Amino acid sequence: MIGLFAIWEASVHLFGIREFILPAPSAIWSATIAIWPTVLDHTLATLTTVLLGFGASVLISLPLAMLIAASPAISAAIYPLLVVTQSIPKVALAPILIVALGANEVPRIIVTFLVAFFPLVVGTVAGLLATPPELIELGRACRAGKLQELVRIRLPFAVPFVFGGLKVAAALSVVGAVVAEFVGADAGLGYLIQTSMAFFRTPLAFSAVVILAIMGILLFQTVAMLERVLFPWSSGAEHAATPAA
Amino acid sequence: MIRIERVHKTFRGRDGSPVEALCDVSLEVASGEFVAIVGASGCGKSTLLRLVAGLVPPTEGRVVLAGREVTAPRAETAMVFQAPTLLPWADVLRNVTFPLRLMHRTTPDTEDQARALLATAGLAGFEGRLPRELSGGMQQRVAICRALLQEPQVLLMDEPFGALDALTREEMSLELLRLWAARRMAVLFVTHSIPEAVLLADRVVVMSPRPGRVVDVIEVDLPRPRSFEQEGSDEFHRCTSRIRAHIFGERNARAA
Ligand SMILES: Nc1ncnc2c1ncn2[C@@H]1O[C@H](COP(=O)(O)OP(=O)(O)O)[C@@H](O)[C@H]1O
Ligand SMILES: [Mg+2]
Repeated sequence: MIGLFAIWEASVHLFGIREFILPAPSAIWSATIAIWPTVLDHTLATLTTVLLGFGASVLISLPLAMLIAASPAISAAIYPLLVVTQSIPKVALAPILIVALGANEVPRIIVTFLVAFFPLVVGTVAGLLATPPELIELGRACRAGKLQELVRIRLPFAVPFVFGGLKVAAALSVVGAVVAEFVGADAGLGYLIQTSMAFFRTPLAFSAVVILAIMGILLFQTVAMLERVLFPWSSGAEHAATPAA
Repeated sequence: MIRIERVHKTFRGRDGSPVEALCDVSLEVASGEFVAIVGASGCGKSTLLRLVAGLVPPTEGRVVLAGREVTAPRAETAMVFQAPTLLPWADVLRNVTFPLRLMHRTTPDTEDQARALLATAGLAGFEGRLPRELSGGMQQRVAICRALLQEPQVLLMDEPFGALDALTREEMSLELLRLWAARRMAVLFVTHSIPEAVLLADRVVVMSPRPGRVVDVIEVDLPRPRSFEQEGSDEFHRCTSRIRAHIFGERNARAA
């Protein structure tokens, strides 16, 4: 990482690349420091959208996934709808939502949610359905009801899958928030990128991109850490259903 | 203890055509008796166990357990599958107590009993391990302890040693006999291994496929406690060759 920045810095000076095309890391740094309270405000605005959108994805995806996994009929009814939401470009959807809901936080959260929730649903459904039939049969032999089966067997079994989905959703939330800010926002890192580029303040735009990358990495790492702390058996779990000889 | 009365079981195949898994099967197992079931794959052995377990209903006939017809899984039965089927997220102790916790049948002593049982199965000190940290043989021991902790009157075992290597398998079969001798529940034990069936069982049920039927029931007249030395005895050979004649003789007859 540090090596990459060093090469970047050196090449910019060596080849005399002009700042509005590719600024050197040092230029990005000084541009950020010069107006750091403003950059911080934009960062917090984006972080709010990312976290709320990500939170909405979690709150909606998990029950949705349980519903889909519960019956093939529900799955057949809902899944095509979900796929439709995924094929619509969110950039096209954002302006419509803003007109409908006003230029406030809500359409941005919805766009973030729409970008992030799908892999979480797919991952969780896969996990709920991947429970080995013997484990289900064990539950039935112990006279477990459908609810007990879900809570005591299927959900715990799905945990590694859920976290796989959560990691993807965390990274996508950042993408979603920026897409929304590009279309309609008066704050946020996406907004900062747009306004800076309009005035050829490329270093500031790059600064926003770097902060977004860091935000994505930190969010991803937080999810990974939560998994390790809360479900130590999950990370890298090779499920015991496949007998090791 | 178990009375299987003229049971038929027909499944709908994937293409909608009926598959007759069991045809007119009758069998009685006394309490404390060890009965092994052998037969080629697909002859309905697993289906028979699942019927006794109350996991599937018979198409015709009935299964009576302790005087009452089986219509749903019962507290008197416990099952061991071919794969250990342990919960990957729970440690050994919590895996062993899982059925009792699921059925709200735990007592203050449950944990101590589980520890004692694990110790007799050679798993002392492993209570806190996760399943993936254990070998296949140890995992299957955990699964057997899990079944025994329920203090079943009927233990159903579906090829419990099928996934183990030959050495572990022999060791585990003697261990199972030891655990069974101390408790004396009725055991229905499905296996592919003819010597294993004869070594373990009081009676061996031989089944044939398509449709699954009982072709013979062989009394094994070997004294207990059993040991591998008995594999050299005349009685052992009489039993194994009679079973082989049923299984392979039939195949030859059909090929002709
Ligand atoms: N749930 C099921 N649906 C359809 N067919 C089944 C089902 N379970 C078993 N069968 C069929 O019943 C027959 C007996 O199966 P099984 O009891 O598993 O035999 P075994 O355990 O002796 O190998 C097989 O032909 C199998 O394909
Ligand atoms: Mg079978």
